[in-house]
Amino acid sequence: MTVGDVTVGAGVVPWSGPDAGAPLGVPLVDLIDRVLATGVVITGDLVIAIAEVPLIRLSLQALLSSVNERVPAPWADGGPL
Amino acid sequence: MTSTAAARSTSLLCVFAICRSRTAAGLPAELPTGLPAGTGHARGGPLTVLPIGDSLAALVQEVPAEEFTEQALQQRLADQSTLEACARAHHAAVSAAAALGPVVPLPLATLFTDRHRARSVLAESLERFHRVLNRTEGRVEWAVKVHLRRDSRPAAEPSPPEPAPAGPGAGRAYLSRVRGREQDRLSRQDAARAAAARVHDAVRGVAAGSVQRRPHGPRVTGNDRLQVMNAAYLVEEARGPELAALVRIMREEVALSGVDVDLSGPWVPYSFAEDVEDAEDAELAGERT
Repeated sequence: MTVGDVTVGAGVVPWSGPDAGAPLGVPLVDLIDRVLATGVVITGDLVIAIAEVPLIRLSLQALLSSVNERVPAPWADGGPL
Repeated sequence: MTSTAAARSTSLLCVFAICRSRTAAGLPAELPTGLPAGTGHARGGPLTVLPIGDSLAALVQEVPAEEFTEQALQQRLADQSTLEACARAHHAAVSAAAALGPVVPLPLATLFTDRHRARSVLAESLERFHRVLNRTEGRVEWAVKVHLRRDSRPAAEPSPPEPAPAGPGAGRAYLSRVRGREQDRLSRQDAARAAAARVHDAVRGVAAGSVQRRPHGPRVTGNDRLQVMNAAYLVEEARGPELAALVRIMREEVALSGVDVDLSGPWVPYSFAEDVEDAEDAELAGERT
């Protein structure tokens, strides 16, 4: 399973949830990125650290790239990777 | 440890967000009133307000313990549609509170065994919550992403590679073409990063804070686009139109170099929930430009 498959490409996934206050056309990938990877992490022995759940960590790795200044982009003219 | 503790009771307490008590007062003591039915996690109880300390409150929901143990979550969230449903349920609850006042969102599935545990653990972070609430009050988050289109070529397009000549020198010609393509690729990426930096500088001018998030990988963007910037900006609510106009201008300015600029929002300030000392001037964690 990959989070990346949730929205492939630049398309915006229309909001279909019940919440009228949400931005129109919330890009799902942005939403998952935010609800999994942001927020104040409260440490306590009864808190499940969701980002530490191995499958979720794998998902986040699929979602987020290693592209930064130090690691070059994974694609060349020959194609990705 | 967590699983054992959870297994003993039939429900766990899921905390979505922290807000001020006076914000919570706008929320009925037992929400679904005023909220669309079904807000919160499926098969959970109604959203309720749990007072934390003197002036804060948490938006919480009792959820079935068997669905929220670490093991159960691993299985359930591995399913794409369940992950999406949980993410949307979480966001809907956070947004419901955010519509009434500033909130500190907590990550998906922040769970406690019961209300007492939640109160005592959350009460340890009161000052931190207040700082974040003060900082994000009246402000929203906007996401700006910059992509380089893979098919983009610089305006001065070098002639397409000729067919490889046979005979001596063919190897050298090949290597030279490969080097040329690599150069071309790197210069396009440099140009895209420079464009992203210009966009960031411009948008930062209307923002009270910014965070550079890790760019999304090709599995998300598709192979035809390289994400060079994935940033979040904390912006006064009233300045949204100004920001949108600015992004439109920047988008036109960089479009010729094969660079796309996408704006989404307004978001609940998820990316600004971390405590930051000296908020207005601080370069936030992860800030790199």
